[in-house]
Amino acid sequence: MVLTWPVGIGRTTQRDQTSGHSRRKLLSAGALLVLGGAVTPLTGCDLFDRDDQPAPPPDPLRPMVDESLALAAAYRASATAHPDLADRLNPIAEAHTAHATELARVIGVTVPSAASVAPTTPPAADSNGARAALRALEKTAQQSATAACAAAPAERAALLGSIVAARATHQEALK
Amino acid sequence: MRQPSAGEALTSALSAEYAAIYAYGRIGVRLTGAARDAARQAEAAHRRRRDALVVQLTTAGGVVPPDRAGYALPFPVTDRASALRLAAEVEERTAAHWRAALASTTGADRDQALAALVEYAVRATRWRKTAGSTPLTVPFPGRPT
Repeated sequence: MVLTWPVGIGRTTQRDQTSGHSRRKLLSAGALLVLGGAVTPLTGCDLFDRDDQPAPPPDPLRPMVDESLALAAAYRASATAHPDLADRLNPIAEAHTAHATELARVIGVTVPSAASVAPTTPPAADSNGARAALRALEKTAQQSATAACAAAPAERAALLGSIVAARATHQEALK
Repeated sequence: MRQPSAGEALTSALSAEYAAIYAYGRIGVRLTGAARDAARQAEAAHRRRRDALVVQLTTAGGVVPPDRAGYALPFPVTDRASALRLAAEVEERTAAHWRAALASTTGADRDQALAALVEYAVRATRWRKTAGSTPLTVPFPGRPT
């Protein structure tokens, strides 16, 4: 059956450039993906019935929106707990919120309310501990953004590069 | 706007590195002690990237733009404060050129561009810290404002 190609269509339609590539190759090779849509075997009558089409895969940048909002929330919580750090932490919280807004715009979703994201762990009691915890969060976040940048299509690479760099500068600012 | 090719983006980054090296010559003489050492290290980093780019562009058979005798500075460097301000500015501007190269590169070339963007953005933050200016960071390093 020509319509059900032995490839995970769900896999090829999401993610990074590499798989985007393979989809283009498939298309240029004449694969009728437009009709394919479903990985399950097709029966004759549901060929053009779009109701059972699987939902489009989530955008690979969607988790970064939440990650940015969680970082912003962590900074706000630390700034509240340690008012002496507020001048340093608040601009960084705003930067993370700006990242979430920009990422949401790029992937075409509404940015969730920043206030709705609560930090998972309360800030450390001493300000040095709080700063160290934020630095650790930024380091992990920098790594995830680096991977996203490496895999991103051209039109997203610059934004993601700025987010990687911002997360690196935040670690420096927290020292 | 047309997307520049990887060669064009790297050529533009090379021109930015030339200008950064020139600027650090003006910056260094206005600084002393640890700040002067930091300026020397920064200049060395820009020289390394310049050299690597010259090799890369030559190997690829591309056009290697020549260095110029002088570059216009965005503002005069007359003392320590203006030297530190220019140092942060130089890092942000070179970071912007490498950021622009991200879209037209992939794989190892994109990794290289990202490494430069990150390094320069972090150094801009260090210069602001040395200068005592706030905020220490910008929301989108390298993004044209």
